[in-house]
Amino acid sequence: MADTNTQAVKDQDKPLLTVDNLTVRFAVKRGGMFSKKSYLYAVDDVSFAVKRGETLAIVGESGSGKTTAALAVARLVNAAAGKVDLAGQDFLTLEGEELRQARTKVQFIFQDPYSSLNPRLRAAAVVREPLDSLTTMSAEEKQETIDRLFAEVGLHKEQQHLFPHQFSGGQRQRIGIARALSTQPELIICDEPVSALDVAVQAQVLNLLRRLQENFGLTYLFISHDLGVVQHMCDSVAVMYMGKIVEYGDRLSLFNNPKHPYTIALLSAVPSVDKKRREQMQRIDIPGDPPDPVNLPRGCRFASRCPKVVDKCRESEPELTEINGTHRVACYFS
Amino acid sequence: MNTQKTPTPSTAQAQSPMGEAWRMFRRDHAAMAGLLVLMLVLIAGLAGPYVYSGDPFEMVWAPFTTPGTDGFVLGTDYLGRDLLVMLIHGARVSIAIGLSAAFLTVVIGITVGALAGFYRGWVEELLMRLTEFFQVLPTLLFSMVIVALFGASLPMITLAIGIVSWPPVARITRAEFMRIRELEYVTAARACGVSNVKIILQVILPNALPPIIVQAALMVGSAILFEAGLSFLGLTDPNVVSWGQIIGSNRQYILDSSYTVTIPGLAIFVTVLAISLVGDGLNDALNPKLRKR
Amino acid sequence: MKNSHNSPLLKVENLRIELTTRDGVAPVIDDLSLELRAGETLSFVGESGCGKSMTALALMGLLPEKVGRVAKGSICFNGEDLTTASPARLNEIRGNDISMIFQEPMTSLNPVYTIGEQIAEVLRRHRGMNKAAAWQRAIELLDAVRIPNPKNRVSDYPHQLSGGQRQRVMIAIALACEPKILIADEPTTALDVTVQAQIFDLMRDLGRELGTATILITHDMGAVAEMAERMIVMYAGRMAETGPVQQVIDHPRHPYTKGLISCVPHLLAQLTAERPPLAEIDGIVPSLKDFGRDECLFASRCERANEQCRNQRPPEVGFSAGQLSACWQAEDV
Repeated sequence: MADTNTQAVKDQDKPLLTVDNLTVRFAVKRGGMFSKKSYLYAVDDVSFAVKRGETLAIVGESGSGKTTAALAVARLVNAAAGKVDLAGQDFLTLEGEELRQARTKVQFIFQDPYSSLNPRLRAAAVVREPLDSLTTMSAEEKQETIDRLFAEVGLHKEQQHLFPHQFSGGQRQRIGIARALSTQPELIICDEPVSALDVAVQAQVLNLLRRLQENFGLTYLFISHDLGVVQHMCDSVAVMYMGKIVEYGDRLSLFNNPKHPYTIALLSAVPSVDKKRREQMQRIDIPGDPPDPVNLPRGCRFASRCPKVVDKCRESEPELTEINGTHRVACYFS
Repeated sequence: MNTQKTPTPSTAQAQSPMGEAWRMFRRDHAAMAGLLVLMLVLIAGLAGPYVYSGDPFEMVWAPFTTPGTDGFVLGTDYLGRDLLVMLIHGARVSIAIGLSAAFLTVVIGITVGALAGFYRGWVEELLMRLTEFFQVLPTLLFSMVIVALFGASLPMITLAIGIVSWPPVARITRAEFMRIRELEYVTAARACGVSNVKIILQVILPNALPPIIVQAALMVGSAILFEAGLSFLGLTDPNVVSWGQIIGSNRQYILDSSYTVTIPGLAIFVTVLAISLVGDGLNDALNPKLRKR
Repeated sequence: MKNSHNSPLLKVENLRIELTTRDGVAPVIDDLSLELRAGETLSFVGESGCGKSMTALALMGLLPEKVGRVAKGSICFNGEDLTTASPARLNEIRGNDISMIFQEPMTSLNPVYTIGEQIAEVLRRHRGMNKAAAWQRAIELLDAVRIPNPKNRVSDYPHQLSGGQRQRVMIAIALACEPKILIADEPTTALDVTVQAQIFDLMRDLGRELGTATILITHDMGAVAEMAERMIVMYAGRMAETGPVQQVIDHPRHPYTKGLISCVPHLLAQLTAERPPLAEIDGIVPSLKDFGRDECLFASRCERANEQCRNQRPPEVGFSAGQLSACWQAEDV
């Protein structure tokens, strides 16, 4: 991991990952067998960038497209349009052997520690899987790597020969983290890595992720619906609603000074133990449900639930515009 | 860097999922009894001819010698052949047909089901229509046609049984593949650049096996029954003895010498029952939801 | 607590519930006492496997048959002991006086009946209403749980509703007979945060209107802080701490409570650039076979644990306003 660090110094300013106008759509059939195909735009013209050694969080509720965007970046679902540049390589155009080689650069940490590990593999074999298919290491080198990774994620060497069901949820997530680290990826995508864990175990995993980031200069794309967790983990945040980024900014600016009505509503909906925050915060109610994703309205997607809506919002969709520094908002009222 | 404290299950033994299933299975008395019976039938078929030698086609004594008389434990049939010898040789044939037909069924079923469940789209559409086609065929009639057309040899009978009975296996395999391919460890394997062939064979298939194994076990039983049915109708290889064939050839004498039909019938009944018990036991043992009870 | 002069609606005393497992009999609830007054919201907090849900099932008389049993103690509802009540009587109380909503609104509605039929069914069974009146009441209830356009939605099937709407229907069913107690077992865990806020609002408003007492089971301290007046922190089947919510959050007297509060990254009034590591509670909840030992079951995960903690079960130490903590060092925490 030493060369990752030197390289990090070299192009500090250039983002490691740049995503431009990424679009992912799924064909859906409505009605009968012969009805026309329509498309669900799960991710619609989304752009973001992550700097080396930093964490970008994508937040949103279910159906916002945050996970799909991450899967598309990792080439696990196909993008319909857009460009993904990872460390100078155009990631979306890679095919065959080149793609397989490039996969070492992006690894995934999954949400569900119960379904993310193959129940028939021992813990060591789970971590070895990426090494087997992506590297040409010798058996001894692989074993050394596995030993090191187990120590790094806080698991014991003796646990290597156990099967996934013999671990607790938090320990399984540690195995998943070790697997993601094994090929020394440039980018690690964490898809709701703690939302299936008990609160006390969440802290263990979050601290581990932060410590690993510090020690190895890791870059995270962090997908979550939990604003508290996001606040703790991220350097910058993108808020998604119905496939679009509605607000994008660095951590302090976005959390202390949210601009988009959806972000504000989202933040105000989070229950808090902080008495002061509860007293200050005025609950913004967003009634109703999101619009039908296959039949999106013409204007702003949030218009139907927005407390600030005016006619203009229903006619044309606001662009993501810069308001200060890196903080960008897609709303006419920002 | 790591001073992390994690409780060590130092005494924990690696418990493979299969090992755990075997522990569950062992506690199931009915299934263990079934397994025992199967073992006995298997031993009788394999070792029997060396212990109690004889030619199953040879007329050794007067026809219709009742069991227990003149030193013939199970008596003789209408041609004066030793029923015990026939039963022992028949066990070989019946079980061989059961196993190989079930094997064939599973191979076809898994191939079709795995491809359909993994690739989806037109591949699935095509393969599932094919499956449905075979499923709606009248099975006995269709296999009779095959045997009648291509001759009544053991491989042909096995093939006929295999061809008509694979659709359920294909359906189960497809359902399992569709479920498992969406699980995160499959996505994880894809993220590691594991090829589709490897994902199908090494990642999904092992995890899809439990219900297929159960189905395959039951398939052995139904293949034995199927073969018995064909033999009873005379569609059988005349050069070998099977349990169904003993019944078929003796069926005219069922009223006078019922034992000639009852004894092989019982053999079939007990064997198939044992197989179902084992199948049920496997089902319980391999079903993770029933574990830990 | 406006009704504090009244006798409590629900009074649980020294409740012990035993579960028969492969490894023997384990007390999943061990010596639990609580009081619930009309209109009050009480919250159970803790990790999974601490006995929160089991308490709810016990109150409903729905312990898993042959596996779980009340070994000691009493559950008094309106002066009637539920632990000795007949199954028929329990059936009458369930739905009528005590009802429950669950975590999974997807699976707790029957997919083959319309939501109107399911609400009306409850009304007809428990209230003896006729078909037309029950249907009419179902529409009113859907309106009460703020489902838009209830007249049309009443004949929808569960799959036609969103997750939040399904949970509203569950609440409508639970409130159909105007129960005195509503038990909500992680009612918003499967829902988005904006929907959660709406459900909480709804539960709060309905509780106020109908005077229903609520028992909220959750793992989210934030939800407790917003919803409940008093809380009980459960650990390994035992009460670790109880007291008025804000007082406990401001000054927890049990290391476990303290850990639960500080291990979660909360949204604060003003965020700063500082991000210290989260407090960790090492390890996991002990397995059932260790429940019931004469020791502090939290000791293995506790930084303060000493010999006494490992050898003797701590007594409950009292503080002001009814705050209790089962910790040997409660005074120092």
